[in-house]
Amino acid sequence: MSDIGMILDRIGHKLVSDIVPKLGADYAAGHAGMTGYMAVMAGEAWDGAADRLVTEIAGLRHLLQAGQVDHSGVPGAGSFKIGDLTVERDGLAAKLITLQTALEAASDGESRALNAQIWQHLTATAYARMPSPPALPETA
Amino acid sequence: MTEAELAAKFAAYVETKLPGARNVIVTQISRIHGGASRQTYSIDLAYEDATGPQVKAVIVRRDPPDSLIDTERRVEFAAINSAFGQGGLPVPEAMFLETAPEALGAPFFIMGRIDGGETLNPFQIDAIEPHRAAMGQQFFQHLGAIAALPVAGSALADEIEIPAADACWSRELAYWAHEVRSNAVHPQPVADAAIRYLEANPPPPAQRLSIVHGDYRSGNFLHDGAGKMTAILDWEMAHIGDPYEDLAWATDPFWCGNDTTRAAGFLPWPEAIEIWKTASGCRFDSAAFEWWSIFTQVKALGIWLSSARAFAEGKNDDPILAWSGWFTYAAHELMLASRLGLKFGADL
Repeated sequence: MSDIGMILDRIGHKLVSDIVPKLGADYAAGHAGMTGYMAVMAGEAWDGAADRLVTEIAGLRHLLQAGQVDHSGVPGAGSFKIGDLTVERDGLAAKLITLQTALEAASDGESRALNAQIWQHLTATAYARMPSPPALPETA
Repeated sequence: MTEAELAAKFAAYVETKLPGARNVIVTQISRIHGGASRQTYSIDLAYEDATGPQVKAVIVRRDPPDSLIDTERRVEFAAINSAFGQGGLPVPEAMFLETAPEALGAPFFIMGRIDGGETLNPFQIDAIEPHRAAMGQQFFQHLGAIAALPVAGSALADEIEIPAADACWSRELAYWAHEVRSNAVHPQPVADAAIRYLEANPPPPAQRLSIVHGDYRSGNFLHDGAGKMTAILDWEMAHIGDPYEDLAWATDPFWCGNDTTRAAGFLPWPEAIEIWKTASGCRFDSAAFEWWSIFTQVKALGIWLSSARAFAEGKNDDPILAWSGWFTYAAHELMLASRLGLKFGADL
């Protein structure tokens, strides 16, 4: 059984729907409920994590290229492991902050247009990272 | 320390503090879920004094293992003291502050318990119908009353620095920018850009110096289920500053139950602002308010990032910290990116 997303989803539902009610008013009920919610969210996030990072990395490299920022010093991840992709994304994001700061200080239309593209990218990636609130009964 | 051990130590402590009290016993103790900056216990006491048998219901707020510094606990205690019995505010009595760890294994303070209340889930504000409007009127009345509390001579003013009116924004922004940057594990392009924007577009000086609750919002008060707010909770981020700070925090879209057409999810915006203006004696400047509402989301990111870090480093394993560092962080980052993106010309 290797469907990790499904396993986490089932664990979350088990915690919230079965275990939390049995804990009653005990303090641990709050912890169990919150853990259950996050297990369901983790199941959903697990499936799309690599795709989100690959998309984000491609967007960052495109923006840095457009801003004529040398990003050759940030090597490709070399794998699709989340940890490796995150290192690459973080290296590029640090360069994006530097680029964006410079664009804000410039007043020409080209800089403003590129900054608008950056905000488009930042909003899209923030939206992609936003977990769906689990459709589960309210916990203690 | 088990709850039984805590109860025994607490009873012994109270006997030394309540004048004339003897044979103090804890008849009920239960930990309250929610919030991770303090361990909160509801405790019932029974004891005798010169007039006979007595009972008392209290709340104990004890520091967790990764405790905040002493001054912050004193600040919360002083803030509650500053508001207790003032302006019709439903605030519990602050009773004892213990800054030494000997009595209960960690510093703590004790306050009176206001019974009969329940919290309101910020994501399910419509559950309070048919009392939504009445709750909203009290919510903004009390928020304004906090802004109108006297600063000079207050217990809070004795504990913390009082900023100049033109330094409120920069002090708060510097503090929360530091929280963002010192706790972030990954680069934060959205938060960094927001901080730069706020620095470059400062608000006017505070129209008055006010006591700022710091975390006044749906979810941080008790109500009786019949339309009455019974207690304002969680004063741990209280300070003295610009009254717009509380108004902006209280009306942040994250706490509005997915209904941004109503301020804080309760009332039409014009009605809410009028109530706040009347109760606080403040005027409303939409440009200044907008600065503070963007600041609110930077402050939120600072809190969520520090929560995530405390959880990741194992300093505090309460799952609410993981939730804050994930779901609430993502929500506030998205809100901030969307509103700043529009300002900078993104086609959203």
